[in-house]
Amino acid sequence: MKRKLSSIFFITLLTIFMIIAALFTLSPILLAVMNSFKSNGEIYTNILSLPTKWSFDNYVTAFKNTNYLQSLFNTIWLVSLSLFGIVIVSSMAGYKLARTKTKLSKYIFGIFVISMLIPFHSIMIGLVKVSHDLHVQGHLWGLAIIYVGIGSPMAIFLYHGFTKNIPREIEEAALIDGCNQFTLFTKIVFPMLKPITATIVILNALWIWNDFLLPLLMITDKDKYTLLLSTKMLFGQYNSDWSKILAILILALLPVIIVYVFMQKYIVKGVSDGAIKS
Amino acid sequence: MRNSNKVLILFCLPAFLLYSIFVLYPALGGFWYSLTNWNGLNPTYDYVGLSNYLELLDDKVFITSLLFTAKYVLYMVVLQNVIALTLAIIIESLSKGKKVLRTIFFFPNMISMIVGGFIWMFIFTKVFPQLAEMFGIAILNESWIGNPEYSFYSILILSLWGSVGYLMIIYIAALQSIPGQLIEAAKIDGANKLQTIWHVVRPLIINSITIGIFVSLSTSFKVFDQVYSLTGGGPGRATQVVSMNIYMEAFAYQSRYGYASAKAIILFVTILLITGVQLFVMKRKEVEM
Repeated sequence: MKRKLSSIFFITLLTIFMIIAALFTLSPILLAVMNSFKSNGEIYTNILSLPTKWSFDNYVTAFKNTNYLQSLFNTIWLVSLSLFGIVIVSSMAGYKLARTKTKLSKYIFGIFVISMLIPFHSIMIGLVKVSHDLHVQGHLWGLAIIYVGIGSPMAIFLYHGFTKNIPREIEEAALIDGCNQFTLFTKIVFPMLKPITATIVILNALWIWNDFLLPLLMITDKDKYTLLLSTKMLFGQYNSDWSKILAILILALLPVIIVYVFMQKYIVKGVSDGAIKS
Repeated sequence: MRNSNKVLILFCLPAFLLYSIFVLYPALGGFWYSLTNWNGLNPTYDYVGLSNYLELLDDKVFITSLLFTAKYVLYMVVLQNVIALTLAIIIESLSKGKKVLRTIFFFPNMISMIVGGFIWMFIFTKVFPQLAEMFGIAILNESWIGNPEYSFYSILILSLWGSVGYLMIIYIAALQSIPGQLIEAAKIDGANKLQTIWHVVRPLIINSITIGIFVSLSTSFKVFDQVYSLTGGGPGRATQVVSMNIYMEAFAYQSRYGYASAKAIILFVTILLITGVQLFVMKRKEVEM
């Protein structure tokens, strides 16, 4: 009985600790949201209280003075295009590499995998030069192509690992029935890869949506800015006008928050699966 | 050529082409540029041998940034893993609220560290001083962005806030894979909670700890966004990390692409060596256990 009491006490203590930790984790976002509805004057007098009057003025200004919708659309377009490319080229390569048991296959796989060790900063300078020379610099589609190049090794690695655990019988049966390699892949294999495709889409969407340095190096035209680039620009412009800056930051976070609220189960699972497999 | 290889090449070609142009070629190019005096502004350049690397030995700014990064990595590897593992163990031992807590702690990982950095800048420069005034906590009144002694910790807090959730997810998955009977058996044998964690859980998740440390090492050496948004490397260059030093050298100061490439090679080799040693040592440990 005594032991049970102490264990209840222990659990309560842990629960309280975790609630505090969770609040601490959320507090920066909550404070930013709260203060984004206040005027600058109110921020300076009492930062911790709820706004006396919830005003959307900061959001209206932020919305008017920024290309918010344009940047949002640019980012969605960039991420979709990149994901589409990564999934197509990597599923083809990863699947075939796992199914072909030749020396060549091993070499190609090795070359793909080795690049996962190279930090981005070590290819950055050469990348800027080659993108400039090939005229892909300055375009969102160009940026997407680069993301496919950089993102495919990891995706190939995951597709490769997943394919190894699918039985071959279905494919062999289809080939005997006279199916060619192309239809075999699109009609039969690709649907079977769905679970790992979901993981790859989640991991790469997170990466590309939040990537800052590559767009910074590649995009100069304001109309093509991603959400992060325009946020960074505005942050500089509204130097310490915090009520407006906070509204801009919350607007930049909004898509992420909405997606996370509705998809958190899949996202956490995708990240977990991806981490374990690689 | 065997037919299977022909099909293989066909399937790999699109990925391999893009990969070669945008990863392999720039990476190999980086090695070559590091041996030249290429300046981004000039169309021509010469081979200069190892002189860029020799210059690095005397480059105080670079060496300082390397040491600053090393200090950051050390703190991150320890704190990230200790906090993530602690959270994972506590969450798994609770009977209620597991999912909610997991969702909350992972949330900052969804956020770009550029936006996250700006939000924390608000916390450090606006919220902290008011808290200091209200509750009389002197340390909150320090200059958390402007004073390099404190801004190191600001960068650390931001980085931990934004990354611990990811490792926590890895550790939770590892803990869930432990068969329940083993924990039961330890309980029956009279082991208390801490003993169970140390003698039963630890050997079973050591594999995940290897992954966790590897992830911390390889990501914290490349830290960029957090420093860029929070301090911009300043004041002066006091909080400049290696990745930012490379970026500045190539695209901000004098476009010395050759010299910046040499720095990038040093970063690459450093990460390769340290993670290589870590994996080698820890894999051997795993076998012993």
